Amino acid sequence: MKPFPNAIFLAALLASGVAAAADVVDERLAAYKARGAGGFSAAAGKALWNKSFPDPKGGEPQSCASCHTSNLSEPGKHVETGKVIEPMKPAVNPKRLTDAKRIEKWFLRNCKRILGRECTAQEKGDFLVFVRN
Amino acid sequence: MLTRSKSADGGKVVVWDLPTRLFHWLLAGMFAVAWFTHEDDRYLDVHVFAGYVFFGLLLFRMLWGFVGGYYARFREFGYRWTNARDYLRATLRGPSRRYLGHNPAGSWVVFLMLGLGLAISFTGMFVLGAEERHGPFAGAFSFAHATLFHLLHEASAVGLLVVVAFHLTGVAYESWRHRENLAGAMVTGRKRGPGVDAVIFRGVGALLLAGVAVSAIVQFAGHVRATPEKPYLPFTGPTLPDSALWRAECGSCHLAFHPTLLPLRSWEALLAGQRDHFGDDLALDAATLAGLRDFYTPNAAESALTEAAWKTDRSIPPGETPLRITETEYWKRKHRDISQRTWERDPVRTKANCAACHLDAEQGTFEDAAMRPPGPQTDQSRPKTR
Ligand code: HEC
Ligand code: HEC
Repeated sequence: MKPFPNAIFLAALLASGVAAAADVVDERLAAYKARGAGGFSAAAGKALWNKSFPDPKGGEPQSCASCHTSNLSEPGKHVETGKVIEPMKPAVNPKRLTDAKRIEKWFLRNCKRILGRECTAQEKGDFLVFVRN
Repeated sequence: MLTRSKSADGGKVVVWDLPTRLFHWLLAGMFAVAWFTHEDDRYLDVHVFAGYVFFGLLLFRMLWGFVGGYYARFREFGYRWTNARDYLRATLRGPSRRYLGHNPAGSWVVFLMLGLGLAISFTGMFVLGAEERHGPFAGAFSFAHATLFHLLHEASAVGLLVVVAFHLTGVAYESWRHRENLAGAMVTGRKRGPGVDAVIFRGVGALLLAGVAVSAIVQFAGHVRATPEKPYLPFTGPTLPDSALWRAECGSCHLAFHPTLLPLRSWEALLAGQRDHFGDDLALDAATLAGLRDFYTPNAAESALTEAAWKTDRSIPPGETPLRITETEYWKRKHRDISQRTWERDPVRTKANCAACHLDAEQGTFEDAAMRPPGPQTDQSRPKTR
């Protein structure tokens, strides 16, 4: 067993994941700014994350936290299918926020599902700074 | 000569050598085990194991009929049908001649049991090969043959049960008529003389027993080593075609349902409606859609890659295009005994959560022996099977 090099490797992996996430998020935020949004706030992101919206299918009101939980470091669970969802925080799950296309795809899907419409550039920016922290 | 002469007037004579006795009781035991495990798919591995041992024992007995102890040889009890008939008539009239080995009627029952036993074994292996794609005949038959083999397998097993009833009646009747314990003689091997002593063949008996014990250990060791995280699957099905793209795009919100679970027209319809997928907008681009299509087209239910694929496809009327696996007739039939409460509660929550009950849901094989429906701690009603 060589725990030490493994630990370094893991740390490097985490760091590179976080670094990749930072790059991609910065690039996204810049794009949202170009569309007139700005002054992104983690607090606003958090409020929207936990805000409940009526379920178009007639079930319980839903929020982002229904599936992801309000603790970004914890795994979540799809309310409808029971599928486990890996943690959102890049520091815990280095795969998160590393692919701009993926980010936009899931914003589109999940905003439509929870808010019943696509999110604005401002809302997406707020979400990203909230999740990144 | 394998037999020794001894005139043991009135004394005990060795009639049944050890391998014959072991064969007898093991065969009866395996038949019982197989009988009581055939209803529940979760014990399929036990059932199949009992079947293989049963078959192995029969093969051994065929050989032993030529090289075994004096009374175990076919030559010794190869009576004509007329002998059996005459013996039966005489017996029903009153005490008849006493035989040290098998009597003529009993010998016919033995041959009938051997024959039915072989029929059960072969039809069993045919069902296993046709329906589950396992065993020596894996893939040798189409799923279409499975129903017939299934019927023949069950019919021959019921047939053997009937013959066993005759056998037990005969043993009881003869024991009473000749004032001796025939069942006990199958344990000790000895009967009242006079007669020729058979060789006991202890070594062969020990080998037979060891063979069965070792195969049982090999077969069931996996159960002992299994942990809740790494459950043991007695049967691993065929490895189905896989696709990383499919898993990434269709495995994020729910299990990446294997294409074998729905016919091609259903997948086409699901992907055509991907902008409103059960309330979700999947927003897949053309290139992704094309990649997904390349995967599901050759592997849809029509491919009959698994029993579930074959049966699902056949259960859907041609004019219908189900958008849910859980709406196909086959799926509904297989799950009709599961209570509403089980579906709604943790850890299942939704019918589409296949992995809550099927350990091999990710692989898409849905093996009979890979079912672990939630236990009584979450639900009282255990689903009945088949
Ligand atoms: C954004 C989340 C999401 C994605 C991505 C997704 N699905 Fe679904 N899917 C759902 C939901 C929600 C349901 C409804 C689940 C329920 O009713 O329990 C569902 C149900 C299904 C069902 C019906 C299951 C049943 O009840 O038998 C099928 C089949 C299916 N999806 C196929 C696919 C395929 C193929 C893909 C990939 C192209 C895919 N899904 C991608 C969310 C998703
Ligand atoms: C609540 C637990 C549970 C869930 C969830 C569940 N199943 Fe099952 N399934 C069972 C049980 C129990 C059987 C055995 C029924 C029988 O043998 O009669 C079964 C049988 C089957 C079979 C037949 C296997 C065979 O060879 O006899 C298939 C195929 C199958 N399920 C597919 C699925 C799929 C696909 C899903 C998800 C869409 C699913 N199941 C969800 C419990 C479940």
